[in-house]
Amino acid sequence: MANWLAHARFIIGALALLFVVAMAAPASAQQRNPDNSTNPTASAVKEDQLLQQMKIISGRGTIPDTKSYNIEQPAGRDWRDFHQYTLPWIGTIAIVGMLAVLVLFYLIRGMVRIEHGRSGRTIVRFNAFERFVHWMAATCFIVLGISGLNITFGRPLLLPLLGLENFSAWSQWAKYAHNYLSFPFTIGVVMIFLMWIAGNIPNNVDVEWVKRGGGIVGDDHPPAYRFNAGQKMIYWIVVLGGTAMAVSGYLLMFPFYVTDVVGMQWAQIVHGIVAVLFVAAMLGHIYIGTIGMEGAFEAMGTGEVDVNWAKEHHSLWLEEERARTGPNQAQPQPHATPAE
Amino acid sequence: MKAFLSACVVIVVIAVGAAVVLDKINKPADEAFASPSSVRI
Repeated sequence: MANWLAHARFIIGALALLFVVAMAAPASAQQRNPDNSTNPTASAVKEDQLLQQMKIISGRGTIPDTKSYNIEQPAGRDWRDFHQYTLPWIGTIAIVGMLAVLVLFYLIRGMVRIEHGRSGRTIVRFNAFERFVHWMAATCFIVLGISGLNITFGRPLLLPLLGLENFSAWSQWAKYAHNYLSFPFTIGVVMIFLMWIAGNIPNNVDVEWVKRGGGIVGDDHPPAYRFNAGQKMIYWIVVLGGTAMAVSGYLLMFPFYVTDVVGMQWAQIVHGIVAVLFVAAMLGHIYIGTIGMEGAFEAMGTGEVDVNWAKEHHSLWLEEERARTGPNQAQPQPHATPAE
Repeated sequence: MKAFLSACVVIVVIAVGAAVVLDKINKPADEAFASPSSVRI
């Protein structure tokens, strides 16, 4: 008898367990509406289900602007992944990669010297206004670059060195500088575009210049007008990159005036990618304009370059200038010094 | 050098001018949060 009762208890227990499991399954199904859409009021509904179904999770608020009710959207997660992981990687590869290439190039090639030495006579390459515009854009770019890179790399690189309070103060001032220097930078880019567009239209001479590697390897000096193909490339990077930076930057600086939150996420993605590539390209420009080539800095320093430098790097431009002003217009330069 | 220094002066003038103008456009928090289109989040 006792044995039979024990069996009966076992069977009843098993049936009770089956009943509980059977009842639990419909409870899960209740999270969906009859049309198979998610019921957001179901108690056990998951965040992912909500996002998949509704694309955006909104709450309730007391602020009149209903945009503030949006709590979460799937694109926000992609954007967060981009600026936390993808952008730092792109930036590191572009900037550190460019620095590595430049260091390696300098160690192998060294400074590109004026092959025939300085002539002691100079010719005006950029007038005062052109140099003013160049330095306006360049100075702003350096500050914008450093303050912008702080947004992506400041936390891992500077925070441990500066500490919380100092890093906060630095980042706040860097952000002010980033916002307000964008205006003179944009003006500078527009002026650069207008000022040098005529000399930066690609032509057949550029094809030959590129074929001969720009004369950067060996002692070759392919002919070039006022701007060679490399300089034209820098010009278009500045004009197109600067425009992309300005447009995407102002979309972020004036949120919701032109675009919604998804548009601003795209603006930040464009701003970030173009910025790190822009910085990498300008590192190359700064290198060749300073330690990479003898006599190059003088073009933007004093505005005058040695005639032999012009002959070797911009022979067609020198011919044009001589045809325009006469062969004896070059200024004697009694105290010629190298650019290094 | 003169071109560079002139550029620096003009940069500061434009940046400060932009800061002053934008500061005037900027709404105070109590006004912005009472507006249906001015919340910046």
